Amino acid sequence: GLLLAALLVSHMLLTKEGVTSMPICPSGSVNCQLSLEELFDRAVKLSHYIHYLSSEMFNEFDERYAQGRGFIAKAVNSCHTASLTTPEDKEQAQQIHHEDLLNLILGVLRSWNDPLIHLASEVQRIKEAPETILWKAVEIEEQNKRLLEGMEKIVGRVHSGEVENEIYTPWDGLPSLQLADEDSRLFAFYNLLHCLRRDSHKIDNYLKVLKCRLIHDNNC
Amino acid sequence: MKQRFISSVPIVLQLALTTVGLTGQSYPGKPQIIRCRSLEKETFSCWWKPGSDGGLPNNYTLFYSKDSEEKIYECPDYLTSGPNSCYFDKNHTNPWTTYIITVMATNEIGSNSSDPQHVDVTSIVQPDAPVNLSLETNTSANLSYLWAKWSPPPLGDASSNSHVYHYELRLKPEEKEEWETVSVGMQTHYEVSSLKAGVKYIVQVRCMLDLGEWSEWSSERSIQIPKERLPPEKPIIIKCRSPEKETFTCWWKPASAGGLLTKHTLLYSKEGEEKVYECPDYKTAGPNSCYFDKKHTSFWTIYNITVRATNEMGSNVSDPHYVDVTYIVQPDPPVNITLELKKSIKRKPYLVLTWSPPPQADVRSGWLTLEYELRLKPEEGEEWETIFVGQQTQCKMFSLNPGKRYIVQIHCKPDHHGLWSEWSPEMFIEIPPDFRVKDMVVWIIVGVLSSLICLIMSWIMIMKGYRMMSFILPPVPGPKIKGIDTHLLETGKSEELLSALGCHGFPPTSDCEELLIEYLEVEDSEDQQLMPSHDTPIKNTKIILKETDSDSGRGSCDSPSLLPMKCRESRSLPSTLQTQDVRAKEKKVGKGSWDTCCAASTSERKTLPSGSIKSCTWLAAQLPSNQAAMFAYHSTVEAFKITLNTTNVNTSPVLVGNEESRQSLYPIAETVYDDLEKISEMECAKTDQTTVQVRQNEHSNKSPFLNPKLMDYVEVHKVRQDEEPTLLLKHKENNGKTKKCTVPGTSKEYTKVSTVVDHHILVLLPDQRSQNTPVSQESVAETSQNPPQSQAEKNTSYSTTTPSDSRRDTSGSDYMDPSSFMPSFK
Repeated sequence: GLLLAALLVSHMLLTKEGVTSMPICPSGSVNCQLSLEELFDRAVKLSHYIHYLSSEMFNEFDERYAQGRGFIAKAVNSCHTASLTTPEDKEQAQQIHHEDLLNLILGVLRSWNDPLIHLASEVQRIKEAPETILWKAVEIEEQNKRLLEGMEKIVGRVHSGEVENEIYTPWDGLPSLQLADEDSRLFAFYNLLHCLRRDSHKIDNYLKVLKCRLIHDNNC
Repeated sequence: MKQRFISSVPIVLQLALTTVGLTGQSYPGKPQIIRCRSLEKETFSCWWKPGSDGGLPNNYTLFYSKDSEEKIYECPDYLTSGPNSCYFDKNHTNPWTTYIITVMATNEIGSNSSDPQHVDVTSIVQPDAPVNLSLETNTSANLSYLWAKWSPPPLGDASSNSHVYHYELRLKPEEKEEWETVSVGMQTHYEVSSLKAGVKYIVQVRCMLDLGEWSEWSSERSIQIPKERLPPEKPIIIKCRSPEKETFTCWWKPASAGGLLTKHTLLYSKEGEEKVYECPDYKTAGPNSCYFDKKHTSFWTIYNITVRATNEMGSNVSDPHYVDVTYIVQPDPPVNITLELKKSIKRKPYLVLTWSPPPQADVRSGWLTLEYELRLKPEEGEEWETIFVGQQTQCKMFSLNPGKRYIVQIHCKPDHHGLWSEWSPEMFIEIPPDFRVKDMVVWIIVGVLSSLICLIMSWIMIMKGYRMMSFILPPVPGPKIKGIDTHLLETGKSEELLSALGCHGFPPTSDCEELLIEYLEVEDSEDQQLMPSHDTPIKNTKIILKETDSDSGRGSCDSPSLLPMKCRESRSLPSTLQTQDVRAKEKKVGKGSWDTCCAASTSERKTLPSGSIKSCTWLAAQLPSNQAAMFAYHSTVEAFKITLNTTNVNTSPVLVGNEESRQSLYPIAETVYDDLEKISEMECAKTDQTTVQVRQNEHSNKSPFLNPKLMDYVEVHKVRQDEEPTLLLKHKENNGKTKKCTVPGTSKEYTKVSTVVDHHILVLLPDQRSQNTPVSQESVAETSQNPPQSQAEKNTSYSTTTPSDSRRDTSGSDYMDPSSFMPSFK
């Protein structure tokens, strides 16, 4: 009897939950838009995921191809997004205006559009490239696009005035990915993955800071 | 008076003490000369060890004599060599003389002397150790030397400082055990080469005169041999860590210094900058570390860090350490951990854990995101259970074992990279014993037990279902004849029997109820009374008692309640008829033995209550058909065999008493006797207790009369309601008598044997009221129907019953409905 009752109660709860589940358009939203919080939530999830993928991919590559080659020492000052001045510590991140930071994020994301496309195709040429790396390259490229869309939405929502010109830094690293010398080529990949890991982490970190600042008023 | 007394007490005490002291005193113990030694063979000293002083101050006197003289001298100098010693100066020392030395201790009571010691001065020479050992090191051309200097042992007599000593030097590295000994010669300095740089050496020297022993080793001296003067080795950067993703610290292992002062410098360059910086803060994070404050900490930037160790000989630089602070964040453990027990709606307790991020970590800004993992185990447990809880700062733990004490720890880590913090200090929580669970356990136990009981009950029901049923719902009785022997049926021609009986269903009880005892044919004979054993009465009583006890448990066949049903028709018979029957019996039993029997029967009858059995009517066995006779014959033969096999009763007495022609059969009858008697008694016992008693009396009375010759048998042919019941006294010779008398088909009266009294009297009764009798009577009736053809009229009929009875004892009761036999008679 007790069990039955418990079942009934749980069933009722479930149905109740079903009834009260969030509608697609939350009440109070304009034009059936997602709230900024929701947008940020999604963006953060996405950036978190992208960074997870990129750092996994980097680690796999590092383990497989970069051991004992001293790539890390060479990988200094060679990210194509280095020209974008981004906050380098907490204070900088907190001091920068959120619109500027958003623009920076957009800039970094855009800067990666091109190299990610090439990465996804070129990575298949790596000798004995494991499926996991190939798959991640493709996945990151796709997710990066989605994140860019989302960020553009957020920027569009947040920006008070005119949208700035699209900033991004061009990438000219495609030839290095196609180098004949294996060591150089592998380093080119290594560097690219290293930069990807760094920038994806930057974006993820900035987004989390922005979310806490804009949505939670610095009280996450 | 009192004062005087008091004052006298101390005096007494004093006296006592003095006496004790006196008694404790004795002459001194034996002193012992420990050693005699000459430092330089010109003088010598002897030392002794005093013996017990005997409680008194002792004087020690050393006497010596020389081997060359008789004269005894006393020690020349007690002081120079210290207490308990004697110093012999140059003047008293002669190296060519052997001294005989004794020490005498003296006190007030007496004196005691040591054993004499013979001393040859040259053999006791041992100088003191050299002194003033000093060590120096010298380095030339990258080689280290050790320069040791010392002085010869000092002598009390300064003038005699001209002795020549030999020296030995030994040395070893401080950490080693083995000494390296060098013979130095007569110099008082020595230079040791081939030493290990950077090792501390310990040095000792000793000396010896040209004769005698080596001195003790001098006191130790140690010296550090300096290292080779080289630039420092490479320092090693151990690790870098950022506790809060805002600052970071790097630690290094200093290069081995080589005894020189070495300075460590941390240098770094940041990605994108050419400039090399030095560590901004060597102090904050302790020795051999560099602390980078917020201003000096950048993220997503690779730091190229090196540590340079420098001494006067040069410097050495560590391998570069590349660090992106983003990836080296290792927070402090979480703080403010609280454990709280809460109860859910179901009253089941659960654990609520809350904690705070480490105070340094700024998680609010979103700059640092921490993830947590907690682990717990019962206090006595071995393995931790680890639970990753993500970014939340609280966790609910369900399904903890009640009554156990848990240890809980938490640590944290940045969301993507970095390292787990240390585990937080152990937190303990005791989960209270859950009474609900206990209740549940109790209920489960109760449930299990009750179901067990049910199982057992049902099992019993199945096993003894029939009895239980009959106990609760008494079954409708079916008339049965007890005493059909299955063995007989098996071994004999059972088909014949059945066909002869005309009852196709076996056991026939169920089918033939309506035919119930139209006739009861009983052949009683004297054989039944043959050879009663003396102890039978006793036996019988026992059996009877048993039977009465166990009767109620029997199946429907046995149950007394059935009897009225069987006897319903016969109840209509007037009681007078019954009495008449008995009388008839009495008349026909002319012999003395019978008289007694009759008397017994009548007396029995009288004792019975009016409603109960008053007479037993035996229908004479009719054997008109050959078939029946044949069958009977066979069966008797079989029975005979059986009885012979099964019962080891002595047959001879029976033979004596019985008829010539039927001798072979008598043994059977005799063997049967007991059984039959038992049966009849048992059956009668069922009817009433009183009857049993009566019979017992009869037994006791009758036993003297028992004589085969006296016995006759009665064959009751028929009892009819309207006619005079006839009891025929049958003699064995009267073949065919029974045939004449019986008209079985016409008579519808039911008669039963209520009792067999004294084995030769059958109490017959119309069925009407005999509640307890029928089964036994039926069995008798049945058996009586089976005499062999030729001897049907004789006791043999009786004998047939015997095996079945004997069988019955062993195999339990077999019941035959007498009605099943009827058709053959018709």
